[in-house]
Amino acid sequence: MNSRVLGLGHHVPERRVTNADLTRVMDTSDEWIQQRTGIQERRFIAADAGPSDLALPAARDALREAGVAATDLDLILLATLSPDIDFPSSASLLQRHLGVRGMPAMDVRNQCSGFLYMLAVADQFIRTGAARYILVCGAEVHSTGLDLSTIGREVAVIFGDGAGAAVLGPEPDPRRGILSTHLHSEGKYAEKLMIEVPTGRQRPRVTPEMLSGPGSRLWPRMEGRYVFKHAVTRFPEVIQEALAAHGHTPADLDLLIPHQANLRISQMVAAGLELPEEKVFNNIQRYGNTTAASIPIALHEAVGEGRVQPGALVCLAAFGAGFTWAAALVRW
Amino acid sequence: VASSVVLGCGRHLPPTAVTNEELAPALGVPAAALSERTGIARRYYAADGVGASDLACEAARSALSAARAEPADVDLIIFATMTPDIAFPGSGCFLQDKLGCRTVGALDVRAQCAGFLFALATADRFVRSGAVERVLVVGAEVHSTALESAPRAADVTPVFGDGAGVVLLGPSATPGVLATVLHSDPTDFERFWCEFPASRHVPARMELAQLHAGLHYYRLDAAAVHPQAERALGEVTREALARAEVSPAAVALLIVHYFDPRVARRAATAAGFPEERVLATAEAAGHVAAAGIPIALADALAVGRVGQGDVVCCAAFGAGMSWGAAVLRL
Repeated sequence: MNSRVLGLGHHVPERRVTNADLTRVMDTSDEWIQQRTGIQERRFIAADAGPSDLALPAARDALREAGVAATDLDLILLATLSPDIDFPSSASLLQRHLGVRGMPAMDVRNQCSGFLYMLAVADQFIRTGAARYILVCGAEVHSTGLDLSTIGREVAVIFGDGAGAAVLGPEPDPRRGILSTHLHSEGKYAEKLMIEVPTGRQRPRVTPEMLSGPGSRLWPRMEGRYVFKHAVTRFPEVIQEALAAHGHTPADLDLLIPHQANLRISQMVAAGLELPEEKVFNNIQRYGNTTAASIPIALHEAVGEGRVQPGALVCLAAFGAGFTWAAALVRW
Repeated sequence: VASSVVLGCGRHLPPTAVTNEELAPALGVPAAALSERTGIARRYYAADGVGASDLACEAARSALSAARAEPADVDLIIFATMTPDIAFPGSGCFLQDKLGCRTVGALDVRAQCAGFLFALATADRFVRSGAVERVLVVGAEVHSTALESAPRAADVTPVFGDGAGVVLLGPSATPGVLATVLHSDPTDFERFWCEFPASRHVPARMELAQLHAGLHYYRLDAAAVHPQAERALGEVTREALARAEVSPAAVALLIVHYFDPRVARRAATAAGFPEERVLATAEAAGHVAAAGIPIALADALAVGRVGQGDVVCCAAFGAGMSWGAAVLRL
């Protein structure tokens, strides 16, 4: 028994923040941001809202499209690196927003690869008959965790808020649905892209000094060039791994949906695999990098634009903090 | 693959034991009253600079050694914690590096005190589907760096301790993991939670005001949680045993994981288990959230309280509220 996507949804906050808007709070330019990342604008929440709040409308749309009631869900999964609160999980908060209880709710914390790690988890539960319907949501609120001053600009210009959701269910045809998932990590580089605080390994785990000033350890830190270099190696590697597992080559792909980390990374990966532009989906221009939410948002838009037809061979791939990287090969 | 089975189990507690006598002065409550309130006599605290992945690494080495396996044999890491080394990336990534595993997947999951059972159920599915062979299932916590030393924390701080427990799960032709059952009910999650840092808070997920207000400390209304926990632990134990088609009489040991060991024992009694076949995890080293069950299992194996062929049932209840049970044939 395979699993397959029965329904999709996504939701982004209404508030658009353009590159020009950012130039009002930091020393940067539209040209600099676009040249390096391809990003033109991103969405930020305007008032208190967490990933679970953004995930709710996305989840409702996915459930509606799947024809599945929230009460019929066997498992609720949410991937995020920006949880609503310290604990419990954002999946638990989403479960309460959906007004259901009884089924387990669990967060997956695998950064930019979070959606694919979560998809792998859901796939195993359905394949082995332990669950029938599973809600998987990738959701992030980055904007409350960014240093929007000039000091933080290299990281702050990249990220946006948003959520995407899918409902997975059983697919009896072994040639269709999620064909396989491939997960990797290399913790040697864990601190090349991280948020340190709260840090369980320091006593106490949060201090006024950690929160204050330009050196605040509450903001993300990234060695951009390092991440870029590994991304353009690991992305093609894991895509080839997923294709080879089923005797395919990049030429067989109908669509590649890479995690929207940086348009320049996506373009280099596509060029390396000799994929023409129309076979790679990008929307980072409008949303920035929404980490765990980027793949389901992109997948939903791609399907909505008619770029994923029944029978299409689709590869979802991600690379990011951890480092973690992953791919899923899907026959739509 | 027919089933998954426990190939090895290990645990690690940091060397520093902390007694109620040591906690009492800062909490402004006599040591005897702390014991009375929590049912816990001692816990262990990690040294400064030691994170969940460091404790997990020690426990993982024991588990691998018990299974006569090497780090290179691990196909997937599943790491459950509510107190990760840093905000992100996940502690599983740190463990992958510290243990020297191949570049295998390192999945971090969050389901609080029942996290180990959520991780175990997930690992069981990865093995059964044939996606991987050997999964390192990790529960590890460093709570001590998150605890408050002030009278208002007298009901919370004594509850928690640090530690790690690890199980290596692998494929088996004969049934090993007989059943897993998981539940969540978020209706009253604020009875046991920690609010900050909170990404939902505009303009910044944590500011000095919240730090000074202590909103980054655990909040626990134990009296409100106990009745729900006692009922759920009994029910989920019966549910898992029924699914495994095992009677309570056939279970060599019931491990009950809850932050008050007295409530855990009452639930076990109600489920039909005599006291001598019950292990309440918090009695030995306080409440170590996601790590409590594998620590208890490793201890029971080490002293020969259970051995190969025995059936063990593990049940847990905690924040979320999330709870579950697993029935294992060792």
